[in-house]
Amino acid sequence: MTDTTLIRLCDAADLAEGEVLKIEIDGRKPLAATLVDGVVHVFDDTCPHAEESLSKGWVEDGRVVCPVHFAEFDLADGSVHNAPAGCGKLRAYAAELRDGAVFASLG
Amino acid sequence: MCDAKARPDMQPVYPKAGSYPDFADLVDDSRAQVDRRVFIDRAIYEAELRQIFGRAWLFLAHESQIPNPGDFVRTYMGEDDVIVVRQRNGRIGAYLNSCPHRGNRVCMVDSGKKARGFICNYHGWSFGIDGRLNGTDGKVYDKDPGFQKSEIGLTPVAQVASYQGLVFGTFDPEAPSLEEYFGPFTWYLDVMLDNDEGGTEFIGGCVKSTVECNWKFPAENFVGDILHAFWTHQSGAEAILGGAVDLGSRYDERAFQASVYGHGIETNLDKVGNTRTLGFPELNDYVLGRYEAVKARLGEVRARMVGAVSSCTVFPNFSFLPGQATFRVWHPKGPDRIDLYTWTLVNRNMPERIKELYRKGTMITFSPGGVFEMDDGENWEYCTKANQGWVTRHQKLHYGLGQDSGWAESSLPGHIHRGSLNDANQRQFYRRWAEFMRFDSWGDLQRAETAPPAKPMTRAAE
Repeated sequence: MTDTTLIRLCDAADLAEGEVLKIEIDGRKPLAATLVDGVVHVFDDTCPHAEESLSKGWVEDGRVVCPVHFAEFDLADGSVHNAPAGCGKLRAYAAELRDGAVFASLG
Repeated sequence: MCDAKARPDMQPVYPKAGSYPDFADLVDDSRAQVDRRVFIDRAIYEAELRQIFGRAWLFLAHESQIPNPGDFVRTYMGEDDVIVVRQRNGRIGAYLNSCPHRGNRVCMVDSGKKARGFICNYHGWSFGIDGRLNGTDGKVYDKDPGFQKSEIGLTPVAQVASYQGLVFGTFDPEAPSLEEYFGPFTWYLDVMLDNDEGGTEFIGGCVKSTVECNWKFPAENFVGDILHAFWTHQSGAEAILGGAVDLGSRYDERAFQASVYGHGIETNLDKVGNTRTLGFPELNDYVLGRYEAVKARLGEVRARMVGAVSSCTVFPNFSFLPGQATFRVWHPKGPDRIDLYTWTLVNRNMPERIKELYRKGTMITFSPGGVFEMDDGENWEYCTKANQGWVTRHQKLHYGLGQDSGWAESSLPGHIHRGSLNDANQRQFYRRWAEFMRFDSWGDLQRAETAPPAKPMTRAAE
């Protein structure tokens, strides 16, 4: 990661445990964030397989599940499991909760 | 097509019933005869799919098969392939197992746990467990301006409802409620479904087989034909019991047939006759040992029915044997074939050892290799095949046993006939069949002759 500047994405209160929030920032593809056991995870909202929104999916056992073809992405590193043919890894970003807000290093 | 002006209309279509008086007349009430063509004719069969399987409440599943969200089983309603799936809100939904794009199956397996949804193999259309289209290939359709994803989904079965753990569905949005469809026949269903406070469950999976017979032969057999047991099952009974088929004590006084809207049960009240045929003395003792508890819950008559020589059909094609605990659906596959799905039903609170004896017992008697199933299957196949003869099909069949056995003064629910060796329930079954052929409205159907006679439910029936 070349740029480690943290960018404020939303209020921490916008996140709910296990639910996936879509976050739109001008000038880039939408992001998504979720909270698992109090730890925040930020990743691309668009599934690398077929351009579906992961915010319509759900979190299960530390993985975000695409609601359309059920690819599973590890929240820790974006690695893909149960992948449909041609589905690559999901990009995940370093993120943290600070002062009641969600920050991520978008690189 | 490329110049079509209107978008595809993807709203579910529930076909309307018609009226087939010529087919209805094939059941001759006045002479207690049935025309053989009802068992072989393709046009009549197609009318059955429309009139009966297109609108009757049909058995789908036991709730115990799909306890958690995403749990599902696949079954048929008539010839329609259906997925039955527990929703996230705990309710049960049922959907046609056919993609609205090209019609392919979206679910290939018989059952499963925690499904996330169903994806069509052909173009990747993906449906939620609520039947809605969640997405397609994700790259082409979503860029097509005319594509209305939100209007597309698996066609839902029009109504789904449960009774005492059994789940039924109908394709007719105008069908009366499930309880109204049963009418007071629930009094008899409760013999098996409510004889213990813990309720019931299916155990041991679903056993499937094919029999080359018309679906009505097994349905009419279970609705009221214990007569055949004395001939068909005599050698099998001797092998298991070491003696002949026996209807039990005080038969003349206690045995009867009951029918409501074509649903029917024939029974004696000997407590344990059919359970004996499973061949496990421990099971007989168990049933007899529960008699007082069941009597306290359901009254004497029904307590005596639990293990008795008895059989039942819920119109049109769901049947069970209380004593043997086998439950089954005769799925029609053309006029001359059925796919038979069977399960073993037990009370949840039974000891595991007792449940296991029931499971083994049904395998010995009423599985594809079971003694009694094989006896029956061959008969029904030859009934179907012989009726196909050109001259043969013009001869009427005899359903006249017990025409004078009506027992109007009985306080038991429904149309009651004395004795179980009787064609009474089979006549009621075909009368109901003819009503479904004749009437295109539920108002007419529920007021027809097979409707239950008005009776105050008295404790005498208990």
